[in-house]
Amino acid sequence: MEDLTLWLVVLVALGFDFVNGFHDAANSIATVVSTRVLTPRQAVMWAAGFNFIAFLVFGTHVATTIAKDVVVQDVLSIGVIFAGLLGAIVWDLITFYLGLPTSSSHALVGGMAGAAVAKAGFDVLVTEGIRKIGLFIVLSPLIGLALGLILTVVFAWSFHRVRRVDRLNKGFRRGQLVSAAAFSLGHGANDAQKTMGIILALLIAGGHVQAGGDVPLWVVLAAHTAIGLGTLTGGWRIVKTMGSKITRLQPAGGMAAESAAAATLFFTSAAGIPVSTTHTITGAIVGVGASRRLSAVRWGVASRVVWAWVLTIPGAFLIAAVSYKVVELFA
Amino acid sequence: MTDKRAAFFALMALTCTALVPVADAQFRNLTVGVAVTYLVLALASFLDHRSRQ
Repeated sequence: MEDLTLWLVVLVALGFDFVNGFHDAANSIATVVSTRVLTPRQAVMWAAGFNFIAFLVFGTHVATTIAKDVVVQDVLSIGVIFAGLLGAIVWDLITFYLGLPTSSSHALVGGMAGAAVAKAGFDVLVTEGIRKIGLFIVLSPLIGLALGLILTVVFAWSFHRVRRVDRLNKGFRRGQLVSAAAFSLGHGANDAQKTMGIILALLIAGGHVQAGGDVPLWVVLAAHTAIGLGTLTGGWRIVKTMGSKITRLQPAGGMAAESAAAATLFFTSAAGIPVSTTHTITGAIVGVGASRRLSAVRWGVASRVVWAWVLTIPGAFLIAAVSYKVVELFA
Repeated sequence: MTDKRAAFFALMALTCTALVPVADAQFRNLTVGVAVTYLVLALASFLDHRSRQ
């Protein structure tokens, strides 16, 4: 019976990964769609493909951080992980309905922490791991913003003498295919690994993998398949917010934003830090807008993103804590 | 008229500086690097704004 529950929760985790791809599809494709490099359908397929192949490029450091560095492993049980996932999924769906580009990653960390705290109190939180994740909650959008701005300025300086603007734009449109692919690769690597971490924690809790063991290959493949399929299904509400409401993008700006966000995700994935792909690309888009002037950024929209940023961890934490108490009643 | 962009970058530099003490040793240099980058951006933005006046 316990095994059946475990496999059902593995399915819920893969469902979360699917929703993550669905929710975050916009981040990968918003700039290529808004600059009309690809049609929405082509862009979604392009992003989904690179989400899937990310497992060939990156290791599983982020998965290990999620499984071992958020809450102490002794407290992990099927009920805790289920409640944590539920908190993250419900929060994601609420913000999806409201059209807010929130972070599935922060929701997951908040959910796991909320469920574990509801079970055994605040002592179960791994301070060092949470501090590292917390640091990059702030740093990753700021690194994306700075890189986005610097790349835009470099592009402007490098090509300001070019007279044939249409030809230049054509070149940047082609370049955007590469930068969108790189961003999707980073998204697949960082976000799919979070689900791998959850499944690894489940397998450890169920005694199927030894504590300290590696992520099994089938988990890697299943997580990347789920996120790829989710991206393929797409989330159009958020495309609108990301692609045109924050700032108006030209092909060069789109390429700069995606390259900046991809570089940030490559670094954090290699270092095993779970970050928000949503906030990283948002920061990069703001950076591109700010390279012209600060008023080129629609701060009303950007501030909604920041509010969602601030509220995600407490929101998912609360929902997961309540969910755990409900799960406990039936366990 | 004040340069809002320079002020924004200076605020980001301050935010990163505030994070330096809480960053693990492994990421301390990165945090300092991001703070310095924003400081340079603030300075560049200020000079750009002044040159246009």
